[in-house]
This record gives sequence, structure tokens and C-alpha cells, in this order.
Amino acid sequence: MPTLPRSLPAKRLGGALVASALVGAALVASGVLERSAVSREVEAPLTQEAMRALAPRGAKVAAAADCFACHTARGGAPYAGGLPLETPFGTIYATNITPSAEGIGGYSRADFHRALRDGIAPGGRHLYPAMPYTSYRGLSPDDVDALYAYMMSRPPVAVANRANTLTFPFDQRWTLAGWNILNLPAQVVTPDPKQSDLWNRGQYVADALGHCGECHTPRNALQAMRSDAALQGAVIEGVEAPDITPAGLRRMGFDPHSLTRFMAKGLSAQGGATHQMFDVVHYSTQHMDEADLTALSAYLFDRDALPAEPERPAAPAPVAVPQAVAMRASASYDGLCAGCHGHAGEGIPHVSVPLRSNALMRVSGASGLIRATLHGLPAQRFPDNERMEAMPGFATLLDDAALADLATWMRAQWGGQDKAVTPDEVARLRAGHRADASN
Amino acid sequence: MSAAIETRDLTLRVNGETVGPLPVPVGTSLLDFLHEWLGLTGSRMGCGQGICHACTVMVEEEAGPREMRSCITGAHWFEGRSVRTVEGHAHTAPDGSLVLSPVQTAFIENFAFQCGYCTPGFVTGASVLVERLKRTPVRRDEVERVVTEALDPHICRCTGYVRYHQAVRDLVLATPGLTTA
Ligand code: FES
Ligand code: FES
Repeated sequence: MPTLPRSLPAKRLGGALVASALVGAALVASGVLERSAVSREVEAPLTQEAMRALAPRGAKVAAAADCFACHTARGGAPYAGGLPLETPFGTIYATNITPSAEGIGGYSRADFHRALRDGIAPGGRHLYPAMPYTSYRGLSPDDVDALYAYMMSRPPVAVANRANTLTFPFDQRWTLAGWNILNLPAQVVTPDPKQSDLWNRGQYVADALGHCGECHTPRNALQAMRSDAALQGAVIEGVEAPDITPAGLRRMGFDPHSLTRFMAKGLSAQGGATHQMFDVVHYSTQHMDEADLTALSAYLFDRDALPAEPERPAAPAPVAVPQAVAMRASASYDGLCAGCHGHAGEGIPHVSVPLRSNALMRVSGASGLIRATLHGLPAQRFPDNERMEAMPGFATLLDDAALADLATWMRAQWGGQDKAVTPDEVARLRAGHRADASN
Repeated sequence: MSAAIETRDLTLRVNGETVGPLPVPVGTSLLDFLHEWLGLTGSRMGCGQGICHACTVMVEEEAGPREMRSCITGAHWFEGRSVRTVEGHAHTAPDGSLVLSPVQTAFIENFAFQCGYCTPGFVTGASVLVERLKRTPVRRDEVERVVTEALDPHICRCTGYVRYHQAVRDLVLATPGLTTA
């Protein structure tokens, strides 16, 4: 398998993609390599009765796999598609997956299995890996059947799919045959007999159903998840998806119990789920069974079982910053932040999140903190009638230097981060702002 | 036993007059400072959490005034700055009578408010809009939108907003220079 340098410019990447595709296409033509994970057994259609019986479980699968978040445009009909996904190569629009003529009404049981697990739609059309079929490849045939039964029971919506706006050669779907050969695992992950059932269920929930790695695993030059850096954190649409390895989770202040709770409720001492993670909690994890969230947590922390008692990871030791920085920063903090987040960063229940224990202070990159401070956050509704009020943006009140000082000081005292935030970094995020479409 | 409260001198301009230097604890909000130190109780404490906008004041800057929530902004943030509260919109005529601002007049004429608790915030929000339009007028067909945007953050429990909205819209449309063509 060729190894490619990271961060290739799009043009050379395009060349590499076409080249790998040509090799791949030749191999596909000779029938060697593009292996299906789908067994022939699913060629037999499910009876109406079986479909009806499976649908309720399929609703659970749909929630855990978070189909809704991507396949529903904001304000659009459920599952009717249209949500844009920005990629470095253009925009991909999620498709209509309701059982209409425009959606998946014509899909047989086998078609559905192949789309989910091989990334190939009827007629041999390759899906873009924006659809996480590399993760869904690990789904069990039973879960895919249940999901099929559920999706086919949804109200059909007659909404045409929007054309993607990808640049050449990324608009050439056939090239994905080559991509799949390089990046689609031939073998599906099977339970590890050395691990507990809980751990194994967690692996299935995290890697296949929940497809956590699609955001939290960095990608290589071909935009495939790097298996050597699984779950170590990546940047998605300009927002940091943090490191969720055991060490990364502990650094943010999570323990197995608080992580389970965070996935169910979207809020914790580490702050609230924002951006795409808000959608994940909102549409997916809050609807999951407690048992699956427990398994997820056990797997992500690499434990056989959850510990009997909550563990409290030690707060990071504060790091000193130059006195001039601290003076300017604390003046900004007292003036603009303390009114809602408290003088010691303690937050106000149901209004604003705590900052002194907030993950944004502790993760390696400062972009999440800078972005929220510059542009604010919308009001958010969480499970159990919990809510956080909107945060105003401070882009016009704090210049790049003032915000850099503020972020440096907060992250040093509460996150133990010794790397100063530079005004340049603030300037970049100020300029690169797109309206947050997510919540 | 009592924790020492750090106090710092504060000097700012309020309604055109210099105030201070006054010793003020660092954690004091501007709203408390206006109420407790200056006796200016017109700015209202509604939620104290930055949501209702009953507490907003005008902050006068070279580029034009901006609206800020005094409940969630520290008094010391305003060191050296200039704010205008609801008490500072009307002026006294040479004959000693009180002359309301155009926004205040429009609210009275339209019966825009009922209990009046939210009104200082609405006066501030509408006045900031009028000042902005003096500098950058908008087309007449955009007035509806800019008025909605300016008043939208303000919560009123009584009126249903219609007459507030109408008062500001009519004032903007009737005032020369605030709109183009
Ligand atoms: S009192 Fe300040 S916004 Fe409500
Ligand atoms: S008039 Fe009573 S709250 Fe607005």
C-alpha cells in the first residue's frame, strides 16, 4: 500500500486519487479486490411481518448511528437530505433516505446492505466516504436489517437530491473504487476474546454504530482515517474534535462515569457539547440505551468494566503567565466574562458553563475557546429540560492581542497549558468565520 | 472573619458628565454601580443573566454608540469610557421644561409600553439603531428588517411588541436622513 505524505495540496492529491483509482479500477475490473462485506443471504427479501417486527429496534439503530443529523437539512423534513457537508474539495449534500422515489424507495434489502457496508448504491454508483460506510462496514447484518425496516417505515418525502459541487477529479465517483481498495477494510472487526463483553459491545458502538472515529480520528492525505492514530483528535469544519483516547479523555477531566453521563446529557463539569458534538448528543446519544453508553465509555477508557466509584482526575496544575498578560487578561475577564461565568470561572447552573473545569481550557488546541469567544454560541436545549443561554460574541470588543492574552491566561490557570495563544491565531479564526450552521 | 474585597478606583463618563474616581470593588457590575453608587435606577435588572436586555446602556464610541448589557458587564470595563443611561436621553429646554428624545416621544405617542419595566432597554436599543442609521441609512424596504433586528433581543412581558415595533418603524421612516430612496 503506498504511503503518502500528509497535507498534500488538493491538486497533487487529485492526481494521486486518479492514479490509485486507475490501479484500483483495473483490479476491480478483474474482480479481484473490491470485496463486499455483504453476504448473499440478504438477497432474500424480508417479509412484511418481519419488517414490522424489526422496525422498533431499527429506530434504536438509527439513533445510535445518528442518521438523522446528516440526512436532515435544518428545518427540512426528517431524513429527506439536503444538509451540506463542506470538504476541502467542494460541498457534498446528504441525500434523501426516506422511502420515496427520490430517496431509497427502490432499494432492496440487499441494496441497503451494500450501500451501508460497501459504500455502493444500486447501479454500482459509489458513495462518497462522507457517508461513513468505512465505519458502518462493521455493522452486524441484523442491525442493518432492523435499520432497513425502520427507514422503510418512515413517511416518504418527495425531495430531489441536491447536486454536489465537487471539483475535478473529486466529482468522478469511479475513482472511489480505488479509494475503497486502499481504505476500506477487507476484514470486518470481530469481538476480541481477550476483552470483556462490555468492552466488545463498546467497540461496536464506538467504531461501527457511533462512527466516533469519522470525526475524532485524523485523516491521511487520501482523507482516510489513520488507523495508527485512532481517536487521537482532528479538526472538522474548523472545529477541533478532541483526542478521545483514554489519556485524552482524562486530560479533559472525564472519568468513565462522567463520560457516560456527558453522552446522555450533553453537559458536565467539562462544559456543554457544542458544534457538531451538540448534534451528536441531541440527535443520537441522548436516545441511546444506558447499557450502550456504559459500554461505549468502557471501550473508550479501555476498561473491562466501569469502576465501582467515580474517579476524579486531578485538575491540571496552573502555569504562570507574564504579569502584564495576566493583568490585561483579568481586566477583560472581570469586565466581560465574570458576569456569567463567575469570578472564579464557576459558571451558573442552567445559564452558563463553568470555565475552570472546562475541556476547552485543557485540550491541546485553543481554537474552540477562541472561536466561542469571538463569535459566541447559540442558546442550547439539553435533555431533562436543561438549557444553556446564548453566549454573545466578543469580536468587536476584544482585538486580537486582547483575546490572545485572555485565552492564554484562562488556559494557563485552568488548563495548565503553557503554550501562549498568539494574536495571529486569533486573527485567522476571526477571518475564517462561517456562520455556525449546526445548532 | 471576612475575605478582603479588592477595590479599584473607577473613572468614567455617565450621561455626559465625568464620574469618579470612586473606589469600586472589582466584581461590581455596571448595573449595580449605576444603581448603588450613582443613584441612577432607570436601567432595569430583569434577569441578571444577559437575556432580557432590560438593563442595556449606550456606550458612546467614535464609530457610534453600541448597546451593552450592564448586568453582565463589569463596572471597571467602562474605565475611561462613556455611557448613556435612560436618564440621559431627554434634555432640559431653556424654559426649564423636559424635552424627551424622539424615540421616547414615539413610544409615548404610540402607547408602546404598559408596565414600563422593559422600556429603558427598548429606548436604548431603538436609540442605538437611530444613531446608526444617521451614519449609514438603509433603503426604506429594509426598515422592517433592521427594526426587528434591533428590538429582537429585548424581552417585554406585557405588550406583544407590536406598538414598540410600530413606533420605531414610523420614527425611522419619518425622520429625514435615516433612509435612502
Ligand atoms: S437584566 Fe441584563 S439582560 Fe436581563
Ligand atoms: S411593558 Fe411591561 S415588560 Fe414591557
